[in-house]
Amino acid sequence: MSRQGNRAGDPRKVNGELFTLTYGALVAQLIKDYENDEQVNKQLDKMGYNMGVRLIEDFLARANTGRCNDFRETADVIAKVAFKMYLGLTPVVSNWSTTGDEFSLLLESNPLTEFVELPPGHANLNYSNLLCGALRGALEMVQMDVDVRFVQDILKGDNITEIRLKFIKRLEDAVPVGED
Amino acid sequence: MTIFSVYIINKAGSLIYHYDAPNTTRPAVEKTFSYPLELVLKVFDEKVTVAFGERDGIKVGHAVLGINGIPADGRFLRDKREILEVLSSEKNYPINIKFGRPPLSINERIMLASMLHSLFAIGSQLSPEPHSSGIRTMETDTFKLHCHQTMTGVKFVIITDPKQGHVDAILRKMYEAYADFALKNPFYSLDMPIRAELFDNSLQSVIEQADKYGISSI
Amino acid sequence: MSKEEEFKLMYGMIFSIKSFVSRLSPTDMKDGFLNYSTSKYKLHFFETPSGLKFIMNTDLSVGSMKDVLHQMFSSIYVEYVVKNPLCSLDQPITSELFKNKLDEYVRGLPQFGTKTGS
Repeated sequence: MSRQGNRAGDPRKVNGELFTLTYGALVAQLIKDYENDEQVNKQLDKMGYNMGVRLIEDFLARANTGRCNDFRETADVIAKVAFKMYLGLTPVVSNWSTTGDEFSLLLESNPLTEFVELPPGHANLNYSNLLCGALRGALEMVQMDVDVRFVQDILKGDNITEIRLKFIKRLEDAVPVGED
Repeated sequence: MTIFSVYIINKAGSLIYHYDAPNTTRPAVEKTFSYPLELVLKVFDEKVTVAFGERDGIKVGHAVLGINGIPADGRFLRDKREILEVLSSEKNYPINIKFGRPPLSINERIMLASMLHSLFAIGSQLSPEPHSSGIRTMETDTFKLHCHQTMTGVKFVIITDPKQGHVDAILRKMYEAYADFALKNPFYSLDMPIRAELFDNSLQSVIEQADKYGISSI
Repeated sequence: MSKEEEFKLMYGMIFSIKSFVSRLSPTDMKDGFLNYSTSKYKLHFFETPSGLKFIMNTDLSVGSMKDVLHQMFSSIYVEYVVKNPLCSLDQPITSELFKNKLDEYVRGLPQFGTKTGS
């Protein structure tokens, strides 16, 4: 899907629908296995986190970006480079808090939910919560502790899908010694 | 260009991968001696090494790698005899001894990796100017070490011949291979030694390409 | 970091680097460790057979300083420390003459003062 054509000459392409279906099957199974939506959200976040801590290296290896010294810079890189690279879309960065430590990613469409209609009784489910975990995991590996969560979701009848990122702290202890 | 070895060190300073180019053989010399032995030997680092006296390509620092075709295992031969004892008794002469630079054991490599990890940090602390990186290149008369630390703290280290210029392109390719074949393998646990054939192969092809066509081909 | 601490750290580091490179080297070494560079500076190293170590930090544009360090040893250290009966060899060098000569020599190097901003 999204990745097609992103990497020139990359033979490792996968059918987008297969990917969306796989994700759907995963969420559906989780809903069966766990009692409530909160727990499903938590599992998705955990899986995303484990993906994020690995994916960041792939991102750094290919994207050739330097370290961000400002949360605004981070927001830009996430929206314009990372989302473009992995999901093939560029969310809008907006709703900055006055202190500059919180912003939202606004997505008009979400490839994960292309064919999804939430069954009734799942008002608390964040279907795409994996994305939050992935963002959190990836940012943690570049020494930023960030809270990531869904605040609006088109799936639940909102006009737009909104992911909120809140900067908590820089993980000073984890910063590798001997950096520029 | 020649690449001797590649090391990958995780953010805690442990070695998670190492590779030696197959064509880099450490020098070794075999020679038959008669009694008494004119080389001064001593035990250093659990190995019998030449302390003094150089001849016929045998250098100070070389270790005894074997006697009469029996390989050495530290201070002992494979057949459990102690090397210094064998060499001290006249009845064993004439004797054939193989000398050479001892190959690095896995424990030594792990130690060297953590040593580099701290040297890297000290190099940045000792900078006369603020905000210095750690050691990026280190030159000696026999090799050059190139070290690249990623933002997440993983170090990629390449040992090349001393005349080699920039290897940024190779380091980059290696980082990509690591991201692909180590991290995207769901059964690889983060920060643990990498044992993946796919990774070996892709790293090797990067190195071979650099060897054959030069670094600009990457 | 105090000067004292810095000296200790430097000594320890050079000691470790020497052991590090001699183990890592694929072939037999002659001179051993020569220099390393970071993003901001380059450290040059020269050791005499007697174990005296000369270390010089420069910026990154400087090439090999082996001859310069050797010169420092042979025509400044030997001349103004070894041949000065008042300088004891295992104590920190306090001689003003040595200091001035060294300063003069370093300032006279073609590499000196080539540094541009940054």
